Amino acid sequence: MDSDFIYVYCILDHRPLLEDQSLASSFEVLPVKEYYAAIKHVSSNEFSEESLKKNFADPEWIETHTRNHVEVISSLMVNQAVLPFKFGTVFKSEENLEKFIEEHSSYIKDHLRALEGKEEWSVKIYCDKKVIRDKIVELSNELRELEKQVRESSPGKAFLMKRKKTALVEQKTRELMKTHGQECYEQYKNISESIRMNNLLPRELTERQDDMILNVACFIDRKNVSNFLHITNLQREEYQPLGFSIDVTGPWPPFNFVEMNDSRLQS
Amino acid sequence: MESRPNKIPTHQDMENNVVDRSQEVTLHEILDRVLNKGVVLAGDLVISVADIDLVYVGVRVLLSSVETLERIQSDKQKENEHMHGPNAGINR
Repeated sequence: MDSDFIYVYCILDHRPLLEDQSLASSFEVLPVKEYYAAIKHVSSNEFSEESLKKNFADPEWIETHTRNHVEVISSLMVNQAVLPFKFGTVFKSEENLEKFIEEHSSYIKDHLRALEGKEEWSVKIYCDKKVIRDKIVELSNELRELEKQVRESSPGKAFLMKRKKTALVEQKTRELMKTHGQECYEQYKNISESIRMNNLLPRELTERQDDMILNVACFIDRKNVSNFLHITNLQREEYQPLGFSIDVTGPWPPFNFVEMNDSRLQS
Repeated sequence: MESRPNKIPTHQDMENNVVDRSQEVTLHEILDRVLNKGVVLAGDLVISVADIDLVYVGVRVLLSSVETLERIQSDKQKENEHMHGPNAGINR
């Protein structure tokens, strides 16, 4: 190894008990001031600016390292609050990390306190428009009537009626997606301490056949998590037959609930 | 995409039928969190800021290329509708 850089996973306020020993070799715990940093020593060969440019273009490298980043932090947050760092944060030296922690001690303290006893959960809702379109016709009297008129009309008139029906199906499909998506969101919002809307990911990234219509991160008090899961289960029972798919994962490290680009963090 | 097991702990109260993919979190779920969230640092203490931004840009590039693709498809669709639209249909 040419020289050591310090890759930081997260900061904690007491020495962690690692429940998953298989990860023990992935990182070490460094006492820094009154905190502990979960870190690993990385090679400048791998994490230099030039190397990273190359590595970031390698999907396999990205997958291995991002999964490791989440796995290590997740294993540490079982018993205590963690302040997760963005993937790829590398300090030049232990001294630099120490300097950072010293300078931002109150920020770290405040955030760890705010994160205590809460969990981040992800909800992604997807819609299969084909299923909804079929269901819409079943559910809407207006559409069923229109369908009847199409069958009973002359070919010319039937053509126009079909176009009208197609437009109405699209409109009602959009309305249903919006209404149900909003209903679900309101329920998550009510049970969460905080909620964050994230970008919708295209099919090319999700590798799914249906479309993402809602992507939220919920910050939930641990005592409300069972209730939250119960709510998502009820939503799934209600909306799945209509073509909605509710994908719940967690608990995640609180990536969405630590302030980003805090001016106090700009060294 | 082949799903891989992960070691993200699941909540003890979690009902098995609730979180149907709790044991196999997809890469897009991971990237959705770790690339642009968490404590973000800038300055002399860290070396990777510019590079982290590159990751972010990398994903944005991917997203914008998808958007471009969608726009092209949408334009083609509009063009198609223009050529075979309602008037064209009626005139036939």
